[in-house]
Amino acid sequence: MKKSTILFLTILSFYAFMNHGGGIYKTNTGNISFYSHTPVEDIRAVNHKVKTAFSSESGQLQFSCLIKDFEFKKALMQEHFNENYMESTTFPKATFNGNIKSIAAIDFSKDGTYSSEVIGKLTIKDVSKEVATTGTFVVSNGVVNAKATFNVNPYDYNVKIPKMVAPKISKSIKISVDSDYTHNH
Amino acid sequence: MKKIATLSISFILLSVLLFAYRMYNKPHTNVTESDAYEDLSAAQLFDMFDKNEDSAMTIFSDRVIQVTGTLLTKDFSNELEPQILLKTDNENGFIRCGFKPNELQILEQLKDSSNIKVKGICKGINGDDELTLLVDKDVILSSSIIIE
Repeated sequence: MKKSTILFLTILSFYAFMNHGGGIYKTNTGNISFYSHTPVEDIRAVNHKVKTAFSSESGQLQFSCLIKDFEFKKALMQEHFNENYMESTTFPKATFNGNIKSIAAIDFSKDGTYSSEVIGKLTIKDVSKEVATTGTFVVSNGVVNAKATFNVNPYDYNVKIPKMVAPKISKSIKISVDSDYTHNH
Repeated sequence: MKKIATLSISFILLSVLLFAYRMYNKPHTNVTESDAYEDLSAAQLFDMFDKNEDSAMTIFSDRVIQVTGTLLTKDFSNELEPQILLKTDNENGFIRCGFKPNELQILEQLKDSSNIKVKGICKGINGDDELTLLVDKDVILSSSIIIE
């Protein structure tokens, strides 16, 4: 009798855990794009192989992406971005390590749209700066889509831009994040 | 004499403009038409990045390479860039190959656990030891094509 009660409670706990959706949500195919607008030139690039995960219990959120994997429309722009400004052979990754502040308010077992402040450290070229933004989390059929935008100043991250091309590059580059997370059992 | 000088300067200016225009519009690397810089196994490639990322970046980054390995899984969750994973000798290490969306039909026909050869542009290794939620690591190939 006692054994069967323990077994029953274990199974019940397992189902409760599964339905709550606790644990790690992850994707290796997240999207990060950036957009620099100046009167002289608009620059866009996108990366579709962003590795990112969050804990639905602690709210910890992490990203890692390769700088060389940002695709530009113009090959020459991509080359200059990597070789001259980002020095991406020496500094190959950009990472983010932060927290979803209102993680407890997100019900991962129920479809819905939630928003939460996200704060953390963005590291580019070995320089870490705190960034904060509001993220939108859409839970749908077990998949969590997260979107957020924030702006960075390239000079804050030791990106050296020659005076001649400085008018072409914005001091407030818009970063957009869009990722579909699935539960990592 | 003045006419010749004017013509020469105009010709030089036009040449410079044409060169600048061609540089500005130069195409991205065509993987299909490029010769592979190196032909190696998925395990060898991952191992080189895992042991010494700086050295592997110097050798492989932005180079077109051919990689042979066992298909672990197909990941079509991002319709803008369908991807596949090749196994390596490291249980937390993979070769992640990204493809243009027009390659999707070819990828759909691939069978898990089959041995395949992929050609693509090596971008580096993604993953960070300090990020505890992202313990696995992927060596990334972009603009990939299936060779066999």
